[in-house]
Amino acid sequence: MSDTSPVKKKDDKGEVTASVASNSNDCSPGKRTHLDSDNEDQDKSDQDSSPSKSSVGDTPEKHKPSSDGCRTPSDSPPNKKKKSEEEEENTHAKLKKEKQEEERLKMQVLVSNFSEEQLNRYETYRRSAFPKAAIKRLMQSITGSSVSQNVVIAMSGISKVFVGEVVESALDVLEEWGDTGPLQPKHIREAVRRLKHMALIQTSKSKKVLFQ
Amino acid sequence: MAESEKEQGEQDEDEVEEDTPLEKKKKIFSKELRCMMYGFGDDQNPYTESVDLLEDLVIEYITEMTKKAMETGRAGRIQVEDIIFLIRKDPKKYSRVKELLLMSEELRKARKAFDEIKYATTK
Repeated sequence: MSDTSPVKKKDDKGEVTASVASNSNDCSPGKRTHLDSDNEDQDKSDQDSSPSKSSVGDTPEKHKPSSDGCRTPSDSPPNKKKKSEEEEENTHAKLKKEKQEEERLKMQVLVSNFSEEQLNRYETYRRSAFPKAAIKRLMQSITGSSVSQNVVIAMSGISKVFVGEVVESALDVLEEWGDTGPLQPKHIREAVRRLKHMALIQTSKSKKVLFQ
Repeated sequence: MAESEKEQGEQDEDEVEEDTPLEKKKKIFSKELRCMMYGFGDDQNPYTESVDLLEDLVIEYITEMTKKAMETGRAGRIQVEDIIFLIRKDPKKYSRVKELLLMSEELRKARKAFDEIKYATTK
């Protein structure tokens, strides 16, 4: 079931190829201010199409460096303000992308060093999901009206995160109580109690103490 | 909260009293939940009682969310925005929903583009 090369595991999310996306950040530093809006648009479109292109095989990631000659900097104040805002946005977007990039590389390195058992567990973690049909049926029986596809996608995703939170908390409880082996209902119940307690504490607005 | 404790109390009673043959409530998530529990760190063969309990918890969670979503925004309907609104305080779930919706949108675009290419080439 598991691949021999875990790094290249292709799932629906297309998170495989960090090398593909890493080429998209090549721009000559000197031309950054003029290129930025052009490159950002191209970056976005490249990122949008990269999951599909990675499955097809070709990834034309290079930007057209010749498109920068058209822009001339305008010195009038309103344009200058817009430019500086754009530049700020662009630097934010670039930082975000670089962070995502780094994140992907780290994951690659981590997964490539997994033992057999860890690989198995990771694969099960990624692949397990609630059946959309069952969720849809359940929600429609509650609402009485039909439910759109996106809603089902969102709800099944949230439920999986919920299960994850409960199981992880239950594993903490298991460790605290010094038990071993598979989780027992008492651990799960304690986990749910703790999570509800935390959620209650978090949702109530914390009052800042102004004067002591 | 009191309701869920009552439910669990009733469940325990049902499991103890085995005089009459139990009509087993149909479990709809058993297989998937087992895999999920293993993926999140439990044993490879989790206890059936734990899986059952978790299934009840999940169904209760979905029911609660659905009911709340029916009340927010456009009453009587569920839209994605309602769910996102309900989730906003929980960072894990919020980011996960955003990611999922983005991905599904990208996949849709990709599929559409692929189909167009296919149509163009086979024509």
